[in-house]
Amino acid sequence: MTQLTQTSAGLVTDDAALPRRPPAQRTGALSTRSLTQLSSIVGGLAVWELVARFLIHNTAFLAPPSLVAIRFWQMLLDGSLVYNSWVSFEELIGGFVLGVVAGVAIGAAMVQWKPVDHALEVWISALYAAPIVALAPILIIWFGFGPWSKVAVVFIMVVFPMIINTQAGLESVDRRLLLVARSFCGSRWKTFRTVALPSAAPFIVSGMRQSVGRGLVGVVVGELFGAKAGLGNIITTASSVFDMPTLFVAVVTLALAGVILTGILRSFELRLAAWRDVA
Amino acid sequence: MCDFARGDGFPPPYRLSVALIEFVDVGVSYQRRGGGETVALEQTSLTIASGEFICIVGPSGCGKTTLLHCLDGLHTPTSGRILIDGREITAPGRDRAMVFQSASLMPWRNVVRNVTYGLELQGVPVREAIPRAQAMIDLVGLSGFEDRHPGELSGGMQQRVNLARALVIDPDVILLDEPFAALDAQTRELMQTELLRVWDATKKTAVFITHQISEAVYLADRVVVMSARPGHVKAIVPVPLPRPRPASARRDPHMFEIESQVGALIDGAHPEVVAV
Repeated sequence: MTQLTQTSAGLVTDDAALPRRPPAQRTGALSTRSLTQLSSIVGGLAVWELVARFLIHNTAFLAPPSLVAIRFWQMLLDGSLVYNSWVSFEELIGGFVLGVVAGVAIGAAMVQWKPVDHALEVWISALYAAPIVALAPILIIWFGFGPWSKVAVVFIMVVFPMIINTQAGLESVDRRLLLVARSFCGSRWKTFRTVALPSAAPFIVSGMRQSVGRGLVGVVVGELFGAKAGLGNIITTASSVFDMPTLFVAVVTLALAGVILTGILRSFELRLAAWRDVA
Repeated sequence: MCDFARGDGFPPPYRLSVALIEFVDVGVSYQRRGGGETVALEQTSLTIASGEFICIVGPSGCGKTTLLHCLDGLHTPTSGRILIDGREITAPGRDRAMVFQSASLMPWRNVVRNVTYGLELQGVPVREAIPRAQAMIDLVGLSGFEDRHPGELSGGMQQRVNLARALVIDPDVILLDEPFAALDAQTRELMQTELLRVWDATKKTAVFITHQISEAVYLADRVVVMSARPGHVKAIVPVPLPRPRPASARRDPHMFEIESQVGALIDGAHPEVVAV
């Protein structure tokens, strides 16, 4: 290796480099797709408005979107919407982060140590399939009316899909890459960190995207059973006095949160999966 | 499990490699599912001098890859021993590096990070690994492609990265497992010439597996011909042609002579072994 300076300047390469990945296509603001989406939303709202105003005539049964929008604005101004959303958001994030971390750790442990897998497998498939949200009242009894009971509900909603996705991701690792790591004297931990974890990353993020919706349901259900604040609490209070517009404000806020959080994770997922498409 | 005893104190300035490899009655057999065993290699003995370029040819299933994996320490022989400088191989070590058959690059790492991969696993700090990787990238002719990802590279370029990743750890012995098998004929010949240029610059002991006779004869100092399963060394054919061997050396009449000699040694006309 003494002649390292003798580099290959001016060498003919075997074949031209493939063109670089084209930048992500920007869809115009008025593409057919967004036009269709927009008219679908506007049309749906219009039908809702018409049905509520001319067929139902009773806001205790169904509030028209215009009333919901006005209440939304009022609650935004008096701060109650922001405050209650923030309470729910904190509970969601707390349970979500704990659930993701625990799910990845347990999933990884199950792949690395077969006895762990054999011991936990049945429990996890049973609990994943079970309507686990039914455990919410018990968790309220255990953890009280404060945020921690809701964190616990979100956690049990999130942790099982995370375990299953992490496992699937780690099991999909290319064996040839593991051989490379072994050939270069990779320790067990370094091999896990540099081969298995990056391979599983798209699966893990995809699991997060699936879990965030379940987590939102967990927050609301938890709050329905007992809470001092939060969007679920708004729903309980509003429905007890047949205040439909307020109830819908909470539901719409939750739906928006679902769309935004899923969207963020989706774009993250696409970025991570980009190398898969070109590989 | 890694043999760190050898190859320590290796960072630049690069050592001149000295490695004498000895296969002593190496046998490998696999337990077949449902009883019985498959003998992949039997009674294989071979001595490789330091700085020598050895090509191993033989029909598929003759245990070529098994032999190479044993030498790398990825597989333990059932019987016999493999020695490097008199020390028995028990695990992968820093004195050997493998160029895998499929490029086996990490698709999420760019070219530089793929080349530094082996160094990272062996605990070389990044600020030292990057310049060493850059030197290797220049040597294999990939300057300017440092930040590309494997998916953006052609098959030939991926194999250059594969080669650089092995060379950068500065092993005494470089093991190549049919690295050009998946390339088209033209790229393949170019890569062979490139490999010889790099090898001339680094003077590693090289063990190269192929089932293409012309490739073996063009590259090797000696061609080891293996028989079909159970695999063993059938003959060793020296290639006494001068080095460096430019691309034009392929048309040397002696080359053809040796090629037909090797071809005749390989059982009948195995469909995979073609004298081109």
